[in-house]
Amino acid sequence: MSRNRTQAMLFVALLCLDLHARVGSAPICPHGHTGCHILSLADLFDRVIQHSARMHGLSSDLHSEFEQYFLPSKNHISRVYRKCHTSNILTPNGKENAQKLAREELTEVIMKLLMAWRDPLSQLHQSMAHQQDFNSFSSNKALEMSDMVHELRKGVEKVTEKMQLLGMISNSVSGLSSPEALLPASESGEALSDYELLYCFRRDSDKVQNYLKILKCRIVPEHGC
Amino acid sequence: MNNNHSTFRKIYLYVCVLQEQAKTMERKDSLSLLCVLVCVWTQATYTQGSTQVPEDFTPEPIVLPHFTSCRSREQETFRCWWSTGSLANLSEPGALAVFFHQNNLMPIGWQECPDYTATVENECYFNKSFTHIWTSYCVQLRATSQNITYDEYCFTVENIVHPDPPVGLNWTLLNVSRSGINFDILVRWAPPPSADVQTGWMSLKYEVHYRVRNASHWDKLELESGSQQSIYGLQTDKEYEVRIRCKMSAFDNFGDFSESVFVQVAPIPTKVSVFPMALLLVFGVVGMLFLLVLIIFSQQQRLMVILLPPVPAPKIKGIDPELLKKGKMDQLNSLLSSQHMYNHDTYREDPWVEFIQLDLDDACEKNENSDTQRLLGLTRPGLKGDDDSGRASCYDPDFLPDTEGLLAAHSEMEERHPLVSESSPSTPSPELAETPFFPVQSQPVSQSWINMDFYAQVSDVTPAGAVVLSPGQQNDTPSKNPVDKTKKEEEEAGKEEEHEKKMKLQLLVVDPDRGYSHEVIARQVESSGAPFCSAPEIAYHTLPPEPAEEPHGWHGEYLAPDGEAQMAYFLPEAPPASMLPPVSDYTVVQEVDDQRSLLLNPSARQSPACPPNPIKHLPSMPAVPVGYLTPELLENLSP
Repeated sequence: MSRNRTQAMLFVALLCLDLHARVGSAPICPHGHTGCHILSLADLFDRVIQHSARMHGLSSDLHSEFEQYFLPSKNHISRVYRKCHTSNILTPNGKENAQKLAREELTEVIMKLLMAWRDPLSQLHQSMAHQQDFNSFSSNKALEMSDMVHELRKGVEKVTEKMQLLGMISNSVSGLSSPEALLPASESGEALSDYELLYCFRRDSDKVQNYLKILKCRIVPEHGC
Repeated sequence: MNNNHSTFRKIYLYVCVLQEQAKTMERKDSLSLLCVLVCVWTQATYTQGSTQVPEDFTPEPIVLPHFTSCRSREQETFRCWWSTGSLANLSEPGALAVFFHQNNLMPIGWQECPDYTATVENECYFNKSFTHIWTSYCVQLRATSQNITYDEYCFTVENIVHPDPPVGLNWTLLNVSRSGINFDILVRWAPPPSADVQTGWMSLKYEVHYRVRNASHWDKLELESGSQQSIYGLQTDKEYEVRIRCKMSAFDNFGDFSESVFVQVAPIPTKVSVFPMALLLVFGVVGMLFLLVLIIFSQQQRLMVILLPPVPAPKIKGIDPELLKKGKMDQLNSLLSSQHMYNHDTYREDPWVEFIQLDLDDACEKNENSDTQRLLGLTRPGLKGDDDSGRASCYDPDFLPDTEGLLAAHSEMEERHPLVSESSPSTPSPELAETPFFPVQSQPVSQSWINMDFYAQVSDVTPAGAVVLSPGQQNDTPSKNPVDKTKKEEEEAGKEEEHEKKMKLQLLVVDPDRGYSHEVIARQVESSGAPFCSAPEIAYHTLPPEPAEEPHGWHGEYLAPDGEAQMAYFLPEAPPASMLPPVSDYTVVQEVDDQRSLLLNPSARQSPACPPNPIKHLPSMPAVPVGYLTPELLENLSP
């Protein structure tokens, strides 16, 4: 089976090349050393999903803190709803829609979302740190959130690469280095407030989490699905 | 208010018109009145129904129709419920309508509820096609006939998800504590079937509650992502109730509780563990008590000595007053013979004058003045020691030839003796009521003059205080005592047999309370009925006199010579010389100890009567180093 052999060789070569790009905490086995095991795709997925769950939890906490201190009436505010800057990204709104979506598209959606939130979250953290209203915990959470988005994005990139390596998805996934750095702007052109940013991010982090889970259970269903 | 006024006006007008009509028309009064009343009534009711209830008429607050809740069970569909409030006409079906609006990219506008649930009142069901997650919804409650919006509610579906309760709640016993009081259980469940956790669409977290049955407070455990959880520290004597609910992770909406499951574990009887401990404890205590009792009883003597040390009392060396009391002559003899100081050989070899040389001087000097004269000098002028200082008192060789048995026995005597008395029992002096007897050595051989002539047995004591000495006794029983001549002898002869044994053993009287008591010895000896010999100061120099002491514990009968109560020594009467065994009445002084007391030699031969030496007939005893009879030795003697 020469083709398998070439694929294996390619795999090994890519792994070696990938060493420079990998920044995560995953143990890497250079040159295929014995004694350390290469992370499987399922393990990678688990890590990424845990990361996204953590991120979503942070966003929920911050959002509820905002609601407690500043916005007593929930109904009231939802009326004064503004569009999120990520509303332009087409995302499946239901389970069937998400399942119907192809793996590549789903992966792409995830990546787009994560990319879209890189800058706004850093802005959010800066604005929260400057304001006197927030305590240190909230600003730390915002900082952690922005870092998490960064890490999650990289993680999803790794997973994508792995999937592409394993032939599970095609190589047509674009958007890895998308220059889309949309600044959050509402319809009226005004920047979204902190609360609106948190509201939007909370929604989007839930999306990312769910999409990752669906993707995982579709690709590697044997582990905990 | 305006309506009311108009109504009242209308009523007034009606009334006025009717009144006018009534005036004109007589027959139709009742009918018209009825009509008026009916019209008024309908008007009033109509007025009431069409407008809002005036506040001053109805104290109850008005409740408008409103949404009670909108919920999604599985994040795929959702329902909304509302209430009609307190308005009557709106309670009719169809009076209210629900419109919703989705804030998505395709704003369509307000749509009416896609499905009014037929079975449930006031419920609107949104199926999957109308449910979009991460999309903001707004629902409105409007009146159908009028353009009035009573309530509006906006939400996103993921925020209204209340999962169904988990199913399959059961428990298994993990373990029971050793004491049987506590136990642990493992609770298992399954996620609700409506929630799609297989595809990862929903990630649930579970919360277990438990309480003692019918208690008011529920205990909560931490959120659990898995499908099992342990409950620790339950008590076996109580019944517990366990229930569970779940929520979406990172969201706050818990679903309903599942059905309660009851947990009870029968308490295991723990007597087994308690019983051996109690038994062990009881056995331990009993064993210790037993050991203690054993120790006490085995070491009783020592404990008595330690706790109640005996008061040291002066002891007569080698003489046990108990023995003398009880009349155990054999033991006394053995005791005396066992002690080395009373060994015949020893005494035979050594001239006892060496031992008692000091005492001799003292004794001779002492006796010289008082009793010696009485003993020796009255009847025999030659015996009076006035000529010879000390010589006559201690030793008078003139006497010796006169005695029958003594001469032969005392022929070997070389030096003077402290006690020499000579009298013939057959020749009582008129002055001396008693004849002094020569002491007879108890030695069978009795060849030495030393042996023979040191003692003069006092046979009797006169009322005046004079001591009658008799020569040495025979071996025969004292029953042949020819002492009947003297009144004491007569009296005591009858008692000789009675007190013979008593006398024998009474030689050695060791009073445990006071050690040796010379008076006791003397008096006991005296009571034996043997020939009465009383020469306290002459016969005995071994012991310091204790004139004042009274013996106690001495049950023997004794005859105290008149006026002699103060005398320390009383000797049993010596039988007549003919009857006296040659050597049995006397004990040779073995040695002199530090206190200038004579250590007498226990004689082997028994003296039937009047053993002058109280230590004479001691039974054989184990060797006593110092020559004292200790209570331990006494024990050996006693049968």
